[in-house]
Amino acid sequence: MLTMTNVKKRFGEQEVVKGITLHVGKGEAFGLLGPNGAGKSTTISMICGLVPYDEGDIQVDGLSVSRSPYEIKKKIGVVPQDIALYPTLSALDNLVFWGKMYGLKGREAKARALEVLETVGLVERGKDRIETFSGGMKRRINIGAALLHRPELLIMDEPTVGIDPQSRHHILETVKRLNEQGMTIIYTSHYMEEVEFLCKRIAIMDHGQVIATGSTQELCKRLAGGNQLLLDVEEVRPAFVEKLKQLDGVEKVMIPEASEIHLYIKQDQDMMASIVSMAAKEAVKLRQIKLKEADLETLFLQMTGRSLRD
Amino acid sequence: MRKIVAICSLEMKRTFKRRSSYIIMFAMPLIFTLLFGGLFGENAGSAMPIAIVDEDGSVYSQHLIRQLKSHPFTEYEEVDAATAKELLSEKSVEGVVTIKKDFLGHIAKEEPAVMLQHPPGTAAAPMLEQLYNQAIRTLDLQVTAAQIGASYENKEWDMVFEQLIETESGTNGISEIHMNDAQVESWNKMSYSSAGFSIMFVMIVMLFTTGTLIEARNMGIWSRLLTTPATRIQLTLGYVLSFFIIGFVQFTLLIVLTSLLFGVQWGDPLGLAILVTVLLFSVVGLGMAIATLVKTSEQQSAVGMLLIISTSMLGGVYWPLDIVPEFMQKIANFVPQSWAIEGFKSLVDGAALGDIMTPILVLMGFAIVFLSIGISRVRYQ
Ligand SMILES: Nc1ncnc2c1ncn2[C@@H]1O[C@H](COP(=O)(O)OP(=O)(O)O)[C@@H](O)[C@H]1O
Ligand SMILES: [Mg+2]
Repeated sequence: MLTMTNVKKRFGEQEVVKGITLHVGKGEAFGLLGPNGAGKSTTISMICGLVPYDEGDIQVDGLSVSRSPYEIKKKIGVVPQDIALYPTLSALDNLVFWGKMYGLKGREAKARALEVLETVGLVERGKDRIETFSGGMKRRINIGAALLHRPELLIMDEPTVGIDPQSRHHILETVKRLNEQGMTIIYTSHYMEEVEFLCKRIAIMDHGQVIATGSTQELCKRLAGGNQLLLDVEEVRPAFVEKLKQLDGVEKVMIPEASEIHLYIKQDQDMMASIVSMAAKEAVKLRQIKLKEADLETLFLQMTGRSLRD
Repeated sequence: MRKIVAICSLEMKRTFKRRSSYIIMFAMPLIFTLLFGGLFGENAGSAMPIAIVDEDGSVYSQHLIRQLKSHPFTEYEEVDAATAKELLSEKSVEGVVTIKKDFLGHIAKEEPAVMLQHPPGTAAAPMLEQLYNQAIRTLDLQVTAAQIGASYENKEWDMVFEQLIETESGTNGISEIHMNDAQVESWNKMSYSSAGFSIMFVMIVMLFTTGTLIEARNMGIWSRLLTTPATRIQLTLGYVLSFFIIGFVQFTLLIVLTSLLFGVQWGDPLGLAILVTVLLFSVVGLGMAIATLVKTSEQQSAVGMLLIISTSMLGGVYWPLDIVPEFMQKIANFVPQSWAIEGFKSLVDGAALGDIMTPILVLMGFAIVFLSIGISRVRYQ
């Protein structure tokens, strides 16, 4: 469905996308994960023809984006990062408008708008103005506006930013359903849980580059020491931390808060017992100890030394 | 085409759904017109007392006085110069009009023939001045007509003139004068205010209407529009068309309402339609140019309002340009409002489309310049 080969983009001096190569198959749900500023939105803008790329090629369904932009735009539905709706108009009016912009006729647009309202679960609010909606409901209409023309490829740019858990859940379920009905999905986020939930395949982006691609399991297997031990202590003593660092199997020690120590350990090592006894010896009051298994967050942290969020 | 119509109807829906739109579009201009245009017409009962000194004492000056007396908002008292002075210092009159000796001779030499004295700061002074200018111009025309008539009939021109002003009807030459009389009455305070405030409030509404461009840009709607299969040309056409229709609806309704409520005769419909069209295109272009040159809606309304009000002042929307210094009148040529007013004035005075080609062409020029700035700046990014 989508093939990107060595696509590059620069804004002035800054190279924002530094040669991306990707393939997304028909019917797939593909996740694009990366921190803010990684170049996700720029990549998406290039796929939907909003921003021209400098080098490489992007093909959607066998058509080159630079050569047949209008053909491709008919196949793609884009959910932008911003809520791009008219606040003083009703949800229905907004949806009908976007339907018409995708080339639907008046009656068809209206019928589709009603169907879409059902898809996003807001039928009873159809006549209300967008400005009276909660953040979550706006996001749902924002997604709905990209569905009117039944796109083959749905591209979503961080569609769940700043909303309540309930709406987030609803959106994720909706997208999953659409994918099960055969729609190809490209889902961008910096929340790894969402991408893990929706997508079989993932690309992790940082600084304009794809630093890893594969399924969640494959990616996690790559981790050298992906598991974490989270210690909750009364007081972080430097001497205790030094001892922990020297323990066999500990890769890295981090102190995110005054009463927390995170240890990155090799995957198949069980070291809880030794830590507990060490704490007793050092007279450190250990309130809790938890094992956290490797996930994309840890993978990202390990590959870049930074956390996905911020 | 469907996409153009979709944008167009969406923007119209947005405008006409807002209740405040109707206030700015119709209520405000009508109230302003009534306030400014009716200011003197309404208190005709308590007309302004003016002393009149007739130094000429001829049949012509008497005719002029009769003409002046026919205006509803002034009341004249014929006195000698000394009494006039006294009345003025007592403040029992608002001003003194002196018709100079041999004033027709003065007119012929284009010298001041009538003198107006008034205490400093008399609010009505510019209005009076205009009134006398008109009256003298009319008289001047009548004299010319009489002279022409006399040469045909081989008579003394002043005899013809006397006949002319006594009978107030008759030969072909006279019918011209009647038309001229009618002119003075049709382009009155009311029609002037109606045209002026319609222009100004159409501009203000256009400022709010084109604000949608800023909103759409800042909210990411432009970007989203570009992800649809609509072309930039379709988007631009949709926007320009919607702005134009909104302005046209407003202007047309204002024309209908002012003629129903205030009895304004706007004149030749074809000329009017074309004048309004070119005016609107320049206003749409100006709105789009402002909207695309600023970053936020706040900047837009600040810059826009300043521009509209200052150019309306320069362009003679609030007061006639006859009363401003000559260099200001020259500046007015660079402001679309002055040309629009000129066009409307001619139409009200009975001109047809062919007679207002100059203002139409000038406004078209403004439209081309503003629209090209506006459209070229709309990049949807
Ligand atoms: N139109 C633009 N002009 C200049 N720089 C841009 C533009 N769009 C994005 N950038 C820069 O490109 C980088 C990537 O941005 P973006 O693609 O929005 O990242 P993400 O969506 O992953 O947060 C950022 O550093 C941003 O400042
Ligand atoms: Mg982004």
